[in-house]
Amino acid sequence: MPSANTDAAIQATGLRKVYGSAVALNDVSLSIPSGTVYGFLGPNGAGKTTTMRILTGLTRPTDGSVRIAGTDVRDRRALAPRVGYLPETPPLYDEFSAREQLDYVADLRDIPQSTAQERIERYLSEFELRDDADKRIDAYSKGMKQKTAFVQAVLHEPDVLFLDEPTAGLDPRAARRIRESIAAFADEGTTVFLSTHILPVVEAVADEVGVLFDGRVVAEGTPAELRERAEGEGGSLEDAFLAVTSGGAEGLGSGETVESTAGASASPAAPDASNDSR
Amino acid sequence: MSAGGDLRHGLRIARAELSRSIRGYGRDWRRLVGIAFSVLFLGGYLLVSLPAAYAVGRRTGSIEAIPFLGAGTSLLPVGLVGLAALRTLERIGRPPAEDLLLLTTHPRAVVLGLIGAELGRLAVWFGVPIVALVTAFGFGLGAPTVIPALGLVALPLFACSAVWGYTLGIGLLRAFRRLPTIRRLLKIGGIGGFVVLIFGSQLAGGLIAERSIQASGLLDAVSIRPLVSYVSLAFVGTPLADSVSLAGLGVLAALIALTPVGVVAATQQASALWFTDTSVTAEPSETKTGGERLAAPRPFSVVKSGRIAWGHLLRAVRKPQEFTHLILLVFFLGPVGTTVVQAADDALGPLVAGIGVGLGTYLAGATFGLNPLGDDRPHLPFLLLSGTGVRTIVRGRALAGVALGLPVAAALPAASVVLGTHLLHAAVFAAVGAGTVVAAAAFGLGLGAAYPIYEEREFWGTETVVPSTLVMLVFLAIVGGGTLIALLGTWVTLTGGLGLSPLVVGAAVVYLALTAGGPYLSYRYAVRRYRRYHLE
Repeated sequence: MPSANTDAAIQATGLRKVYGSAVALNDVSLSIPSGTVYGFLGPNGAGKTTTMRILTGLTRPTDGSVRIAGTDVRDRRALAPRVGYLPETPPLYDEFSAREQLDYVADLRDIPQSTAQERIERYLSEFELRDDADKRIDAYSKGMKQKTAFVQAVLHEPDVLFLDEPTAGLDPRAARRIRESIAAFADEGTTVFLSTHILPVVEAVADEVGVLFDGRVVAEGTPAELRERAEGEGGSLEDAFLAVTSGGAEGLGSGETVESTAGASASPAAPDASNDSR
Repeated sequence: MSAGGDLRHGLRIARAELSRSIRGYGRDWRRLVGIAFSVLFLGGYLLVSLPAAYAVGRRTGSIEAIPFLGAGTSLLPVGLVGLAALRTLERIGRPPAEDLLLLTTHPRAVVLGLIGAELGRLAVWFGVPIVALVTAFGFGLGAPTVIPALGLVALPLFACSAVWGYTLGIGLLRAFRRLPTIRRLLKIGGIGGFVVLIFGSQLAGGLIAERSIQASGLLDAVSIRPLVSYVSLAFVGTPLADSVSLAGLGVLAALIALTPVGVVAATQQASALWFTDTSVTAEPSETKTGGERLAAPRPFSVVKSGRIAWGHLLRAVRKPQEFTHLILLVFFLGPVGTTVVQAADDALGPLVAGIGVGLGTYLAGATFGLNPLGDDRPHLPFLLLSGTGVRTIVRGRALAGVALGLPVAAALPAASVVLGTHLLHAAVFAAVGAGTVVAAAAFGLGLGAAYPIYEEREFWGTETVVPSTLVMLVFLAIVGGGTLIALLGTWVTLTGGLGLSPLVVGAAVVYLALTAGGPYLSYRYAVRRYRRYHLE
């Protein structure tokens, strides 16, 4: 378990989540420094979305604690301005236009009107949404919806940004736009927690990678470190992912604890529970 | 952030939600047609009611007390709390785009926004007619001050009832989540209670009309004096005014004090519901399936459409909440049914046989037939590419309806023999039922395919696709009317009241041609709609 790092943008300690008799998360600890892009990988049903919902305070853990930018996630008023969250299904109102949606969110976030207008117009231009900004969202393509939801998540310029499959189903142009934005936000000091199955995206933007399997973090390190440890399997991040998610971290060859340069560690012990419904 | 900040956010959310609702009405032409019909229908009533309200106001000026004020006033908050709780269970238990709202603002603001939007919807739907009627009443009374005064009196009452109703609804949702068995039992119990309420109210109405029980005693029993005194404050300055009582002012103070307490309770309950566990809709209703392969029993296994029908029936048993639309029948037939049963006397046996035929026919057409494309939509890409003919798919749905309706249409006539129905009559009723069941199953499919509904709605924590209300009403009118004609014709023929004149034979031929031809064409239309379906 990593020691508590008061400078960490995301500090999770001993997270455990139980649904009935099924253990969704078991002793998950993370310590992610500011400005890091953290790629969060795991097979379907591993508990990634549960982890993200706990880290954003949307779901209460059975055990453990989370601090985001120094704020306890249970303090919702203090947390709201610090985090942005793009869930897998974009939380948009079909009846609104993109501009109305962003105005609405800016209002609820108490962003001063002049600042909000400047940011909305800037982001609409950057994401090539300006021409369609007054059309209703139900007429948008998946990519346009995803870009609108991304802008909505970053409109208040949060310290920590949680992204759940932000490029899934997007065309290459829209996916690249999102990837570039992730990198740009990280350059400006925003911490990005990126959950995705698209490994090339992780390889392109992530500084650190964590792999969740059956509710445990079974491997953590930089993409290069994980690739290096999976050399016996061919040396790609995909090989490393398949190795650690097909029987613990033994697949990486050593069986020792995988140390992360981000300060986190996890035992590659075999998982003890699974829950496909989570 | 202060309570003022949450209130401001709450108002913003309420405004946005109300705006979304109104835009949603405008987006769907079916809803617009429904609204237009409602406005025309209820608008006509309103125009007739306004002079009546004025006349009542004039007459009321010369009496000492408003009739039924005590009972009406006392039952109003109970009804409002119940209504708010039901709306919470059905629709506003979770905020739309909850990931966004709950990470953007405080749950208290979200609660205020959802309740505010609901009050706004209430005002949009009922505000204009209520204000018009109160205005007419006030002018008739010669005291226009009653109009704003009633508004001022109603506001705290509505606000407090809405907040506590929401708290109750959220509390029930939490209880359902923790105790899923209770949820299922309450759903069944709720439907049973609803049926009892409909028939019970009819029975009570009949007894009051026969003066078997005294209405005044009942009304006195439910009157809550302080609440009546509070509502009477609206009549200060009018001929109906009582002296301002301390009890009335006490109720006002209690309402004002209880509303913020209710908001605190609602926020605590809602936070626990939204943040503690997973969404109810994500939970499978039943995970155990017996672990066997999907093998249809005989006679379903004989043909492919039979096996498809078996699949529909199996799904219906495992997720019965998808068929809540069937309860609409109770709304229409409950009041009539009680009266008919009371008037039946020695004809109870044939009546039960007829009810069996009607119920079986209704189930055959309405259960699987009234929204086939909407029900099948998630599976259509697979179904249409599966190699199974479209006719087989449609017949499978029709067969599922027949399999459900036929036993009812046969069993109740058979059981009615115990109540005095002649054996031959029961057999003829069952045979007629077999015909109407098949006709309804085929007719429902075409009707439902003409107006498919694809949008899911949350009802009691479950996402379901329900048929269009317009389709339901048309189905009830046509199939109900047709079945009634068949039953009456059968009864009159069996009792020897109908000779074989050319006119009777001609009418029977036309009826049979319509009963056979209409459903056949409807079935053909459903097949065509499936064949021409395009994924959008």
